[in-house]
Amino acid sequence: MTTQIIRSLRRVTATPIPTASLALTTQYTPTISPPFLCRRMSTSPFRTELPVVEAPPLTTEPSSPAYLNDVRLPRAVQAVYLRPLRREATYDVPACDLQLRSYSIRNLEFFSDFALRAAYYLNLPAYGPVPLPRILERWTVPKAHFIHKKSQENFERKTHRRLIQIKDGHPETVEIWLAFLQKHAYYGIGMKANVWNYEGLGLGATMEKRAMDMKGDLDQRWALLGLEKGKISAEEAIEAINRESSRAQFGGKTPRLPDTE
Amino acid sequence: MSMFRAKKLDLGCFVNARVIRDHTKRKVFAEHEAERQALRYIIRNMELPARTRAQAQLELSQMHCYTRSTQISNRCTEGGKGRGVLRDFKMTRFNFRLNALKGLIPGVKKGIW
Repeated sequence: MTTQIIRSLRRVTATPIPTASLALTTQYTPTISPPFLCRRMSTSPFRTELPVVEAPPLTTEPSSPAYLNDVRLPRAVQAVYLRPLRREATYDVPACDLQLRSYSIRNLEFFSDFALRAAYYLNLPAYGPVPLPRILERWTVPKAHFIHKKSQENFERKTHRRLIQIKDGHPETVEIWLAFLQKHAYYGIGMKANVWNYEGLGLGATMEKRAMDMKGDLDQRWALLGLEKGKISAEEAIEAINRESSRAQFGGKTPRLPDTE
Repeated sequence: MSMFRAKKLDLGCFVNARVIRDHTKRKVFAEHEAERQALRYIIRNMELPARTRAQAQLELSQMHCYTRSTQISNRCTEGGKGRGVLRDFKMTRFNFRLNALKGLIPGVKKGIW
């Protein structure tokens, strides 16, 4: 008896979690829903765990159709009704900045939400969406097709932007994330990503080594540039221009230059 | 010029003589751009002999006027007009207004502020 009471008390106090009945019956007014409502209800923006709610006692037989109403939805499905989950960054090293642009806020909000969820399931710590200043463009045109300059009309286009930052992500995972977003690209949304790659320690030494390795090739290239006077003569330049390979670059249409006398 | 013009119509937008002419000029310019730049480089290169540079000058001035970038001018894709074309939409102001009011241009609305 006492346990029954405690259970019912818990059910009252705990955050209501949608059950299958929510999804199945249409007359039922949802107590939870659209993500916008839940946003206000949740307390911490960086919650990484779902609230654990004890399953309500089953009052019906598993075989009866009413049983379906008591079944708790899977956690992943419950999460859809809540704010997107996030991973915490340990080192705060920026890995990727994704900028989303759109003319419609609704689509933008939806897709940035989707991007955050995708990042969570890829184990990427994502921050945002940061609302960047919107871009406002305006055009003023005469209303008439001919003269009557005094009556004009204004048109405008607002581009809304959101920034999602990934921190501590492995470059490969970040690429997978970006590819996933591109695969499921939403209509009317543009994406732009800045990706950072990091080198290991001792970069100076490796760069030096790389430079030394390339020195032979580079010297050949530098020699062609003719930056240093006296290194290349006019005859050599004309010979280079007349060379078949360079002529082929211009479709072989330029006339052969005559040799200098 | 007829020698540059495509034998078959290769345009999908509004077409009239001036639109076709401008389109032809664009194609010819793109085709000869590298050549023009090469000649310009030779002309400006002080290390090359004067004779070569003078010849390149001659060569450049003798190229067809269609190969010049200045021959290209923006035209309206809806009506072929040459004036009052909005660069952002490749349309004249009036066509832009009609399309914007119909809601055919993404994101463009009547400006109210």
